[in-house]
Amino acid sequence: MVDVSRVQKELTECNRDREVSGVSIALHDGSTISHLTGTIAGPLGTPYEGGTFLIDIRLPGGYPFEPPKMQFITKVWHPNISSQSGAICLDILKDQWSPALTLKTALLSLQALLSAPAPDDPQDAVVAQQYLRDYSTFSATARYWTEAFAKSTSTGMEEKVQKLVEMGFPEDMVRSVLKSVNGDENMALEKLCSG
Amino acid sequence: MGYDAMAHDASSPAARDAKKRRGNRSAKLKQSKLDVRREQWLSQVKDGKEVKTLVSPAAAAGANSGSPILASPHPPLPRRGAEIRARGGELLDYKEDSVGASQDVCSSDLESPMHSPVSCIPPVGCLPQHHCSGNGGSQSLSGDSSAWSSSRSVSDADDEDTGGSPENDDDDDGVLDDWEAVADALSLGDNHNHQDSGPAATPAVPASCPEPANATTGPEPIKSRTSAWSPDDVFRPQSLPSLSKHASFPASMGNCWTSMGIGYAQKGILLLPISCPICYEDLDPTDSSFLPCPCGFHLCLFCHKRILEADGRCPGCRKQYNSAPSGGGTTGNEQETGNLCLSRSYSVGPRY
Repeated sequence: MVDVSRVQKELTECNRDREVSGVSIALHDGSTISHLTGTIAGPLGTPYEGGTFLIDIRLPGGYPFEPPKMQFITKVWHPNISSQSGAICLDILKDQWSPALTLKTALLSLQALLSAPAPDDPQDAVVAQQYLRDYSTFSATARYWTEAFAKSTSTGMEEKVQKLVEMGFPEDMVRSVLKSVNGDENMALEKLCSG
Repeated sequence: MGYDAMAHDASSPAARDAKKRRGNRSAKLKQSKLDVRREQWLSQVKDGKEVKTLVSPAAAAGANSGSPILASPHPPLPRRGAEIRARGGELLDYKEDSVGASQDVCSSDLESPMHSPVSCIPPVGCLPQHHCSGNGGSQSLSGDSSAWSSSRSVSDADDEDTGGSPENDDDDDGVLDDWEAVADALSLGDNHNHQDSGPAATPAVPASCPEPANATTGPEPIKSRTSAWSPDDVFRPQSLPSLSKHASFPASMGNCWTSMGIGYAQKGILLLPISCPICYEDLDPTDSSFLPCPCGFHLCLFCHKRILEADGRCPGCRKQYNSAPSGGGTTGNEQETGNLCLSRSYSVGPRY
């Protein structure tokens, strides 16, 4: 059973200085405290700057003696984060977890991971290869992904819809295809053309 | 109204206090050194009034040296409470034998070593010398609030001398103006006034000496001379630092308050309010003294047990808890758990 009082205290403590730390935690839905959503701000001076990244947090029954299960909801182009699933390769979320750590420190570690990738121990091999061989392309891609997925997508989505509608595709189809490819305009165009 | 009404208010409950105090004076003497000293001083003053024994110069010097202690900006709490009560007692005594008492006080002041013949000047025309008293008093007392308190007596004297009736509200503004003048004079910081402080300290008292009708207001200067401003005083200058106000506690709290406060303080030092970093529950004394790892990471016994059941690594340094005995009978079990964990971690180790 999750230590409810500890988690509640952690939530209060983490959200107290959310403006300063750039990380916050909220209940995913009101029903259970073992399913949370974390938010971290993209660190300044990185391709992730300006983005807001959502993290799905699931607390196992043994928390805090077992590490929380975290993965990115927001798509990220990062050597240690799966570009497909958002799975995270971070030691403190696995064998280096300590019950003295908290959800806040874990989120802060994720923030640090964004600013300091470790391509030698990759989660996403493609991204890691690109990072090592062609850093400028990696940086551009990561910045583009941040623009496309980690920023308030409502206005961007409308622009993309309008663009694709102007190309002659029906609006409802454009919207559904865009949603299925997580707002990636090029992939949506490809899909629309092929389909 | 002003301080006259306050004097009446203070005197009626103070009468009971004074009687009580006389009853258990011996018990009070044991409380502390300082209490003993001030009790001696008070009793000397009273003896001088009631029994009309001779007030020796030493006693008068004691009275003079006592006032700086009372007027210090941070008086210890119990003494302050007692001081207020004592003040009330003085007021009562002054009422009981008004003429004789005030005369006696005059004589005791006359016998003070700092005294000089100038004090015989009639009080009506000596307003500038009152200011001198403010200067001299402040230098001898060496403190901001004490300077105010000593010049307070001047204001009272001014009220009596010039207005005649203390209920005159118009005098207040004038008094405040005098305060500023006194403050300006203080900033000059002239040392030679120190010698004049003797005569200046007394003229307030002779003003009330010839008038038995003024007996209630007579002791006022004494009262204000022996203590700092009380926080609820109407005449307390706005410019006084609020520090003394914070340092003062309600008189009703008395000594038990300080003992309680000390108790809480000691408790706070002994029982560090640290909660277990794992379960966020407060650590009890057993937990606080429980140091299972040389890295010094504190945690409660419950969480420690839970960790030993799992991988047995210290949450602070991630090193294996060594199998050092932490309890009596459970040593064997813990050792066993530790060995198990060790073997497991060894088997896992090469993978990383």
